[in-house]
Amino acid sequence: MMLLENMRSAAQSFGGNKLRTLLSITGIVIGVASVVAITALGQSASANIKNRIAQAGLQTIFVTAGRHSGAEVERLFKDDLTGELREIDGIRDALAYDQRSFQMRAGQNDASDSVATASPAFTDIFSLSMTEGRFISAADMSDRSPVAVLGSELATSLFPDGDALGSTIRLLGEAPQILRVVGILTQRSSSMGVSFDSTLFVPRTTYLARIARSTRVGSFVLYADASRDVVETAKRVETFFTARTGSSTAVRVMSPSTIADTMSGVTETLSAFLTGIAAVSLLVGGIGIMNIMLVSVTERTKEIGVRKALGATPAAIRSQFLVEAVALTATGGALGVGLGLGVSRIVTLALGWGFAVSLGAITLALGVAAATGVFFGLYPASRAARLDPVIALAYE
Amino acid sequence: MSGGIAVGTGVVKDDGILVRVRGLERIYKVGDEEVHALRGIDLDIHRGEMIAIMGPSGSGKSTLMHIVGCLDSPTAGILEIDGEDVSRLGEVRLASIRNRRIGFVFQSFNLLPRLTILENVALPLMYAGVPLKARRARAKELLESVGLGDRLSHNPNQLSGGQRQRAAIARALANDPAILLADEPTGALDSLTGQAILDSVKVINARGTTVILVTHDPDVAASCHRAVRLKDGLLEGAA
Ligand SMILES: Nc1ncnc2c1ncn2[C@@H]1O[C@H](COP(=O)(O)OP(=O)(O)OP(=O)(O)O)[C@@H](O)[C@H]1O
Ligand SMILES: [Mg+2]
Repeated sequence: MMLLENMRSAAQSFGGNKLRTLLSITGIVIGVASVVAITALGQSASANIKNRIAQAGLQTIFVTAGRHSGAEVERLFKDDLTGELREIDGIRDALAYDQRSFQMRAGQNDASDSVATASPAFTDIFSLSMTEGRFISAADMSDRSPVAVLGSELATSLFPDGDALGSTIRLLGEAPQILRVVGILTQRSSSMGVSFDSTLFVPRTTYLARIARSTRVGSFVLYADASRDVVETAKRVETFFTARTGSSTAVRVMSPSTIADTMSGVTETLSAFLTGIAAVSLLVGGIGIMNIMLVSVTERTKEIGVRKALGATPAAIRSQFLVEAVALTATGGALGVGLGLGVSRIVTLALGWGFAVSLGAITLALGVAAATGVFFGLYPASRAARLDPVIALAYE
Repeated sequence: MSGGIAVGTGVVKDDGILVRVRGLERIYKVGDEEVHALRGIDLDIHRGEMIAIMGPSGSGKSTLMHIVGCLDSPTAGILEIDGEDVSRLGEVRLASIRNRRIGFVFQSFNLLPRLTILENVALPLMYAGVPLKARRARAKELLESVGLGDRLSHNPNQLSGGQRQRAAIARALANDPAILLADEPTGALDSLTGQAILDSVKVINARGTTVILVTHDPDVAASCHRAVRLKDGLLEGAA
């Protein structure tokens, strides 16, 4: 019933002293703005990280071993292990993978880049697409064809004129090779240490027959079932290798999913920490509100006396000042939300991230601001309510 | 009449006692010192009466008004309004009595400066729980009756002293109180304006509201039904 009056009275009392009102809510504005900006930025950051990792292929799991990881690993890392790896629960496909640096030459142009082994399954696993030509085919595999598929950057550095397709490339070194270019990949971000844009892919069979110096496999690329928890699957792979090598450190199992998990864990912890700091600034803001409300009660002692003489109960006076305090913090909260969103929008624009806003965080921040008003307004309001009417009336 | 000096001119239609004061004491404690502002007042005020309270400065007039108006509680003694002992009531009940049964008019008007006079007059109605529309209608009616119908949205500081006091009277009458308490209502006004205010108070009394008026002016006192004189916290002429 009196809420409307109380809000009007609040508006009137603040309107009369705009600068002071603004200063008094600065703490709340900054506190709420920090909460909103931190949560918005935290969410944008983790969304951005997840997005990048998803591009890298959330279904892939990489298994690598150190160069000197022991005899067990040396025996284990052979091409025929893929058969056993495919048996692991949640694994759809397993490929052996090697990559080595080579001097390469095409006409007058030289490059020093990676040569990596590939099979037709790669297009699916890494969602590769072609600008020109085709990827390595099943026939290339069975024929051990001397063919090459080029990453986009490598294609331009070896063939600046764009005549790569059908041309030949020479791999220099102790076992020189001549490869025919059958395809060029579309530009793509790197994944787990494979920088697709600057790599030359050859059929794995061709590599083993003509280029490889040993039968020791560099690493395995596993393709996990997306409908299963990839992080769990990666753990099973780890268990498999720990069992086979007798060591939990000889082999490294990496997957974008696991990394995404860790990363979002880190950003969550960080946001929680920063939100804690923001909460402290809200507390400081609340003390500012309490201060201004105490000043307001003192200044308006006479008014309180008059209202009591006219029949205001202590509860009516208390709610009048509580509404004022909440109106202050809610205004501060609204300004803070605006400021926080503005700042985080600018930051995300500057960093080129997607902008993720959580309505939950905004509601929470506003709720906390209002609650701050109630909490820090309660004491000044009760003081107003307890004033002796006669003494208040006599106040000048 | 108990403790009264009959100086009045009018005739009171006696409907019984509205305010009954017995052995009323008010002691203020200031540090270690005690100020005996009222030292045992006995007074009956009849329904429909217009009574003047006189006395030198510091004699306890305002203190008595505050207690009768339920703004303050006596240290000892009894105050009955309409037969109900209100001297030991709690804050909430006292607020309700002030709101419904008492109207205050102050020397310094005490209008809230940030509100329009319409909002000022509507305040007691708000605390009485009257809905907004009805409040505004009633406040407008009251202001019209004191000749301020064309000033509803003015702030108090845009009005003359006499207009302010008329607005204050309108506010005091908002909930149609049984008792109007006026503590030197003409003290801040020139004699002509004061006379006009006094006349309207008389009209209010003639319509049935009991009026208790503090004044220093013997002429004003003479125009009331009755006048009592306080001195050092006691009624003069009392036993
Ligand atoms: N809050 C208070 N604390 C202490 N003493 C007070 C207080 N209020 C009033 N007194 C004292 O009580 C006595 C009566 O004061 P009161 O205000 O009732 O006088 P009054 O008759 O209204 O005087 P005036 O004509 O000047 O208004 C005075 O001595 C005054 O100093
Ligand atoms: Mg006085």
